Amino acid sequence: MITARGLTKRYGDTTAVDTIDFTVAPGTVTGFLGPNGAGKSTTMRMVLGLDRPSAGSVTVNGRSYRDHPAPLREVGALLEAKAIHGGRSAYHHLLWLAKSNGIPRRRVDEVIGLVGLDEVAGQRAGTFSLGMGQRLGIAAALLGDPDVLLFDEPVNGLDPEGIRWIRTLIRNLAADGRTVFVSSHLMSEMALTADHLLVVGRGRILADTSMAGFIAENSTEHVYVRSPHGARLTEELRAAGWRVEATDDGGLAVYGADLEQVGAMAGSHGLHLYELRKIQASLEEAFMRLTAESVEFHAGVPTVPEPAAAEATTHLTPAGV
Amino acid sequence: MRFRHVLDAEWTKIRTVRSTAWTLAALVVLSVGLTALVCLAAAAELADSTLDEPVGAFVLWGLIVGQLAALVLGILAASAEYSSGMIRTTLAAVPRRRSVVAAKALVLGAMLLVLGTVTAAISYLVGNSILDRQGVGLALDDPGVLRAITGAGLYLSVLAIFGLALGLLIRHTAGAVTVGIAIIFVASPLVDLLPGAFGEWLNKLMPGNAGGSIAMVESFDPNLLDPWVGFAVFTAETGLLLALAWWLFARRDA
Repeated sequence: MITARGLTKRYGDTTAVDTIDFTVAPGTVTGFLGPNGAGKSTTMRMVLGLDRPSAGSVTVNGRSYRDHPAPLREVGALLEAKAIHGGRSAYHHLLWLAKSNGIPRRRVDEVIGLVGLDEVAGQRAGTFSLGMGQRLGIAAALLGDPDVLLFDEPVNGLDPEGIRWIRTLIRNLAADGRTVFVSSHLMSEMALTADHLLVVGRGRILADTSMAGFIAENSTEHVYVRSPHGARLTEELRAAGWRVEATDDGGLAVYGADLEQVGAMAGSHGLHLYELRKIQASLEEAFMRLTAESVEFHAGVPTVPEPAAAEATTHLTPAGV
Repeated sequence: MRFRHVLDAEWTKIRTVRSTAWTLAALVVLSVGLTALVCLAAAAELADSTLDEPVGAFVLWGLIVGQLAALVLGILAASAEYSSGMIRTTLAAVPRRRSVVAAKALVLGAMLLVLGTVTAAISYLVGNSILDRQGVGLALDDPGVLRAITGAGLYLSVLAIFGLALGLLIRHTAGAVTVGIAIIFVASPLVDLLPGAFGEWLNKLMPGNAGGSIAMVESFDPNLLDPWVGFAVFTAETGLLLALAWWLFARRDA
């Protein structure tokens, strides 16, 4: 269990993490989703006591990280893959880590087997591919057999096989009843691994919802129709009780109706159609919409009020956040 | 978490990277090799008194350069963790940051105490055998010889901790090495140019001068502090620098 209350981190005038509250529950994979620079890594570093919060607090299993007598036995973390000295062998890297927390040496061999690094454990970590480095980082996270696991962008730069391996591992760790907190900037990745979703943008929590709830809310589909008689068609469709919006390319988006109904409606009024198709809004789009404001901020474009994002937040944020 | 676990972890770290072996090899090779060269060059002139310098300044001459390795090893113990990003792994494993600094200082200090003494002993044996052939060698029980050999261990031990403090403060290998070399090697001849008693005293108190004299049987520079007094000054200076590094390390974001 990870609990953040009013957690804030400021660097000079920049607020990287802005008064956030969240709870990461055991037995589930909680996805921490946001664009680059949203404050995900900063938050994770504060969880681990590496960065000092400017305000607020975060605890792991009820205690501040620094107060755990043997933290590796409570919390395992995969930070950026390069938090390893390239001149030391994988085995020795895990060995000093084990010793620092009084973990027996045989556990080092166990985790090396667990992540499949047996063949290369004696090689210097600097010679490792990205995937091997990631496996070493995961071996380090699992070393103390911790109940709480943090993975910061675990699939970044991995090949498909590596990605699948990590997904399975993450699912299994949560199935064991552990608390798993995974950050990512890829909605599609989260849709496959996370049970619960924390969406962050510009240091704030934009959504705190179950994955299933997020999908139900956001993967709304609609019918796209293009006709030379747009105004007339809009009238008729609205009269039938459907919501209709004009799209940028001169077509219409019809919500709540299916293809057959729209086609029949046009036919019965003798209106020509040039195009008629079903649109499935992707989760990626929903995520982009939600975080649009914070992305604009980072791109340095003047911020335009973004009603979609604000609306989505109110929809998605359950009571108590 | 017990302190011995942290100590064991830091000891494991330092002995499992090649840079440690290379740096310590450089310490021995530079110290012994340069002592031998300088003694070869000077032995004859020392024997016929055309060179008016104390013999005791030659038998451990190579350490003047070799000490650089001890400084660098200390710096790397901190700065390499920052350049690789491993400092975050270290502090996630051992959030008690003061323990990390204490363990690093103890491991470095003990390592250089032993290797510094051994290096000085070998330098003496090699350098002195060359001087002996011209009949100007020093016996082990001549004044200052044993003090200088064990003193070299003490000096290099504290110098490595001085480097550790620099590495923790500057967090960057090249930057810390530059500052370290400036303080130990470059600043003192410059300070010596300052006029009067002020310049003279400042020169005596420069870390390399104050600490280094304990590691020499005799010095070329007659104006240095007494070896033990100088060593006490250097230890105090290192203590202050380490205390500052310690204090900041516990507060700064990793």
